[in-house]
Amino acid sequence: MQSAIFILREGIAGLMRSRFTGFVAVLTIAISLILIGVFLIITVNLAEVVDRLRSRVELEVFLDDSLDEAKIDRLAEEMASIDGVSAVTFISKEMAIREFESLFDDQQHDYFDVLGFNPLPASFRIKLRDAYRNAAGAERVAAAIGALVDIGEEDVVYRRKFVVLLEKYIKIAIAVDFLVGTIVCLSALLLVTNNIRLIILSKNKIIETMMLVGATRAFVQLPLFIQGMIQGLVGGIISALFLYAVLMVGSIEIPGLISVSWRIYALLTALGVLLGLAGSYTAVRRYL
Amino acid sequence: MVKIYRAKMRYPNGDGLDRVDLEVKNGEFVYLVGPSGAGKSTVLKLIYMEEFPSEGYVTVASYNSNEIAPGDIPYIRRKLGIIFQDFKLLEDRDVFENVAFVLHVTGARRKDVKRKTLRALAEVGLSHKSRKLPHELSGGEQQRVAIARAIVNDPFILLADEPTGNLDPKTSVEIMNILDKLNARGTAILMATHNYELVNSTSRRIVSIKKGRTLS
Repeated sequence: MQSAIFILREGIAGLMRSRFTGFVAVLTIAISLILIGVFLIITVNLAEVVDRLRSRVELEVFLDDSLDEAKIDRLAEEMASIDGVSAVTFISKEMAIREFESLFDDQQHDYFDVLGFNPLPASFRIKLRDAYRNAAGAERVAAAIGALVDIGEEDVVYRRKFVVLLEKYIKIAIAVDFLVGTIVCLSALLLVTNNIRLIILSKNKIIETMMLVGATRAFVQLPLFIQGMIQGLVGGIISALFLYAVLMVGSIEIPGLISVSWRIYALLTALGVLLGLAGSYTAVRRYL
Repeated sequence: MVKIYRAKMRYPNGDGLDRVDLEVKNGEFVYLVGPSGAGKSTVLKLIYMEEFPSEGYVTVASYNSNEIAPGDIPYIRRKLGIIFQDFKLLEDRDVFENVAFVLHVTGARRKDVKRKTLRALAEVGLSHKSRKLPHELSGGEQQRVAIARAIVNDPFILLADEPTGNLDPKTSVEIMNILDKLNARGTAILMATHNYELVNSTSRRIVSIKKGRTLS
């Protein structure tokens, strides 16, 4: 217990003794985390956009005018029981024409009056479960619906090209995301490792003496871990505060500019601690 | 208590020891005398297990160099007091913290650390400089801090590697007086030196070493 208290005090004292290197380390971590934070915020917002776009992926099943109510009810039940279907909404011919008119904001025309009949068919709108909101999932559900009695394959439509494109761009975005994230994280780790390495090299004689007078390896290493951890924590808090301030100012200028959950700030702080620990661990393992 | 038996070891550059036999008993004061490069420091390194013999063995208390686990080495060093010619003080902390460090590594209670550290500093006459940093002290004072650090944990033996090598004659006498006082209280001392003048005036046991061999 006494040793633990001493080690903790040594870690804190070590920070005070090497104020300049400590300041550089904290600054390094803060800048790295700001980069990671910007990248995280972009990623999270991108994911939200993607989610919103994905939620629009739905199927429409057009019905023959000759189908009676009993058949329509049966089809609704059958479609609801298909794997991947989360909701089935019936759109009657009347609802379809109302939607059509409101969509084109064309209230002055009454299509029924002009044509003498309602040209739009009744339909089902099929919402998909999350896992099926992709090209393969939508295709599978479309095929299953197309195979039902009274429904032809050509009656099932969805924005196939949109889904395929969406998926392509999501894949590219995720790849870029990972690449940038990995580069930023690795750079930060390298900078922190190098910083602790410099501390170890500058304390080489001191460390050697400590071991000559009976200090165990752990006794020498632990204060360095604590130093790395505290530097990471401070760097993390600074980066979180900086991003918070920038986004606050930004949202005054452009309201609703970007949404950031408090979890991002917590994650940045935790990442700072992790970076500090990982950096000091790598340096201690390699140079001590 | 400390025994080196037919020890041989080589550094990569070819220097080292050919055959060293040495024994220090409880409460003894032994001089290890030889010219520069004879292997005196290496003999001390064998005892605090910084180096290991390729032949023969070293025993310190119940530890044997051929059997000791690396993790046990710090625990041997806590039973020894080591004084170096270049003092090897921790430059980043003051005199009190330098001496107290040895107790902290053993997990001693804060109250005991304070009491023992102040006692050791009083022993070497440095109580009034406990808050000074090493670079604010003279060579003689730095060596006295090193002695305080070596004795603070009540070692059974003090290993002194040329403790007066960097000091003027007057300060050297002061350091020798402190070592005499410690020995008179029962602490064994093994002192490596090339100062023949110093050892010729003593009636203590002398072990000579030349070209890596102890002479009987």
